[in-house]
Amino acid sequence: MNILGISCYYHDSAACLIKDGIIIAAAQEERFNRIKNSFCFPVNAINYCIQESNITFLDIDYVGFYEKPFLKFHRVILDHLKTWPFSFLNFLDSMPKWLQDRLTLPLTLEKEIGFKGKTLFVKHHLSHAASSFLVSPFDQAAILTCDGIGEWATLAYGIGRGNQIKIYNELRYPHSLGLLYSTLTAYLGFSANQEEGTVMALASCGNPVFLDKFRKIFVIKPDGSFILDTSYFNFNKGRRMYSNKFIKTFGNDRKFNDILETRHCDIACSLQKFVEEVLITITRNIYNETKMEKLCLAGGSFLNCVVNNKILEDSLFKEIFIQPAAGDAGGALGAAAYIYHSILKKNRNYIMTHPYLGPAFSASQIRRILLNFNLIFKEFNETELTKQVAERLAKNQIVGWFQGRAEFGPRALGNRSILANPCNPQVKELLNSKVKKREPFRPYAPAVLEERADEFFEMRCKSPFMLLAPKVKEGKRTLIPGVVHVDGTARVQTVSKDTNPRFWQLIKDFENITGVPIVLNTSFNLRREPIVCSPEDAVGSFRKSKMDCLVLENYVVDKRGLVE
Amino acid sequence: MICKKCVLPESKPDIWLNEEGICNVCLGHEKEKQPRNKTLETDFIKLLKMYKSSGKYDCLVMCSGGKDSTSALYYMKKRYKLNPLAFTFDHGFETEDAMENVKNAVEVLGVDFLFFKTEFMKDMFSEIIKTQSKASICHLCSIWYMDLTFKMAAKFNIPIIIAGWTKGQSTKQPLMSRCGCSMHQPEFHSMAKSTNDFLDKYIKSNPKYKDFPKSMEEVLSRAKIRQKCVVLSPHWFLPFDPETYVEMIKKELKWKLPKLSYPENSTNCYLNFISVYNTMRDYGYTHYHVEMSKLIREGLLTREEALKSLEVNFPKELLNSIGSRLGYRFSD
Repeated sequence: MNILGISCYYHDSAACLIKDGIIIAAAQEERFNRIKNSFCFPVNAINYCIQESNITFLDIDYVGFYEKPFLKFHRVILDHLKTWPFSFLNFLDSMPKWLQDRLTLPLTLEKEIGFKGKTLFVKHHLSHAASSFLVSPFDQAAILTCDGIGEWATLAYGIGRGNQIKIYNELRYPHSLGLLYSTLTAYLGFSANQEEGTVMALASCGNPVFLDKFRKIFVIKPDGSFILDTSYFNFNKGRRMYSNKFIKTFGNDRKFNDILETRHCDIACSLQKFVEEVLITITRNIYNETKMEKLCLAGGSFLNCVVNNKILEDSLFKEIFIQPAAGDAGGALGAAAYIYHSILKKNRNYIMTHPYLGPAFSASQIRRILLNFNLIFKEFNETELTKQVAERLAKNQIVGWFQGRAEFGPRALGNRSILANPCNPQVKELLNSKVKKREPFRPYAPAVLEERADEFFEMRCKSPFMLLAPKVKEGKRTLIPGVVHVDGTARVQTVSKDTNPRFWQLIKDFENITGVPIVLNTSFNLRREPIVCSPEDAVGSFRKSKMDCLVLENYVVDKRGLVE
Repeated sequence: MICKKCVLPESKPDIWLNEEGICNVCLGHEKEKQPRNKTLETDFIKLLKMYKSSGKYDCLVMCSGGKDSTSALYYMKKRYKLNPLAFTFDHGFETEDAMENVKNAVEVLGVDFLFFKTEFMKDMFSEIIKTQSKASICHLCSIWYMDLTFKMAAKFNIPIIIAGWTKGQSTKQPLMSRCGCSMHQPEFHSMAKSTNDFLDKYIKSNPKYKDFPKSMEEVLSRAKIRQKCVVLSPHWFLPFDPETYVEMIKKELKWKLPKLSYPENSTNCYLNFISVYNTMRDYGYTHYHVEMSKLIREGLLTREEALKSLEVNFPKELLNSIGSRLGYRFSD
């Protein structure tokens, strides 16, 4: 039984292929077409999933789509009517898209991939719920989903038992925490639906002086649900998501290149605290209502690792699970898993323990590419390779690390990563100037040996997908200054020997040299580009940046050996 | 002097190297290079659907017994679940190994098989060798083979011809009219011109060949009049490298690599050895150099791999044993 899951047309298009309940392949379209957060029909990702799964297009039994387009269209039309005539420009922009693609998915599937079989549409938040619970290690759990918006729902909760999911309740548009976060992201001069993580990082630099103002905009009920005062927002009235009233309350919006002021940091901090406050209240209520000990989270809001950590600490749940593609890309996985397990009633037989579901490249393919790029390289065996790279890291070199199958989701987790020495106090400036060109307030993340994580971080569970931001233990902060954020937290990835033995060994070798079982791990991409997917992408980024060394499987390319 | 990027030698006026030792073909490719326009399998599926037949056969597969055409036949039957008609043409010089591979493939796949054997071309081949004409035997053969294939496709009302061409054998999809053997490409210009000149002269004096097309362009214009037909290769659209599909056909179709081959790891007819010898003598390179250079530019092959594979190491005795069948002996 082969089920193809698809998410597209909003942001983070992706495809996922589930074969008899096992995820064989999953990938985001942006990795192939090189358009960050690409929203188009994921034809490249679909081609990859089919070819990786060793099946043909004729072997697809069902296609699952991650939302119900007509339900969503209903909301869009009503919203246009409500805000008419101010929505006129948005109407002109969106209607052709709806009529050409979004409402005609079966036709698109037939045209683009020749699929004429059954297409099933799973509600957006149900897809999110399924993407987490059905691949979690839990037999039963409470589920909470939260993002900008699905069809109508912006937040939903329920429970999962066995292969079934029951949604108890949902909050509906326009009352949306995710949209609030995206609005503030845009207000602060960053790209909505892309740079929410930047706002999360900025939050640590400020004080929550605007918290009461957020509480005024969002009326929170005792159960944690909320009503948003729409007079502060312009969701569908123009090109801007916030109203003049919002500007009167918070001051002028920041433009892309404007200097970041204390006010901006304070607004980000207040927003972050407010979102944490609301989600803690909601999760506590869910705990009281469901009496479950475990919680599955999904939706773009749970890519916010600070929020996730708060939930883990304060919500009363003993364990939480979030899969690495918690945003809309994961909807492809959720839709496919929901069809297989919940609709077709097949038992669950898969736990998502790693994110390595994307393309891999053979040694001969990589060798060809290196030769054709006229690069000088050296091949090492596995033992020599990790030792050699660990030595380079200990010497404060910046290493592009390209191994095995690409990660599914927005985090680079040791297969498409840029690595550096976390003990070097200047590493952030070094990375920012040489490669990443990030805002200086953004932190870099540590990848730590799973079994040593609690020596360095105040955490009571694993964080294999870099979705938790625990405190770094007081006595350890000076040891790893390169990965400690201003608030003393770190966005941790715990690395297991079972799921990524080569990356684990590299960190172990680094520990043998430095005594620190941690490397700095950031995504292998240049500013505003998607994470690299193929060796060509990696070589391209390597050549454009000032990384010291590039490691593609067992081949090491030194910057000094670059022959132009 | 060989281009530093590909494996084409300097062969003026068609191929010349700049000061850095890079050939004009590579320079042209760099200039034209489009960012990320990879063909996808779904593009192939769309084309198959667009040209779908209502007749008995969905496609005619040109099957030589080599790895590329055998895997193409496999894909059409197994991957796309179509009903292909396998078509093999033997001009009298096909190898036993190649024919064994074809036989095994059609038997295992259970597809209908059209086999065409003739010595019709023998006199023409003999003439080229004896007169030491610069016309390419392979070019002549491909003109005739394509003409015959189009005729067979029309006869059986098949709108799709499947060839096992690699990404090095064609530049753009999906039309045959843009295939590698174009006079307009500098790499083929002299070869194609010599072939045309030879045909022009030879056909006039030999009534036996009065209907023989004078060029690939003529093959195409004749085919166009006959029926609407497209020529495609699955290898243009699939990401699988030869190592992968060779393993597959070895396992599934009992396919074997021939004992004797040029280039390395390929399957070609006996005349291929003479053709290679002659074109190396006349131009310093063969159409295999062109194909592999293209693969290098696409990043699918390294220059070292290509140079190794293109080493001419077959003995003169082999040439003479083939030549003797055409009444010719190569001087020592």
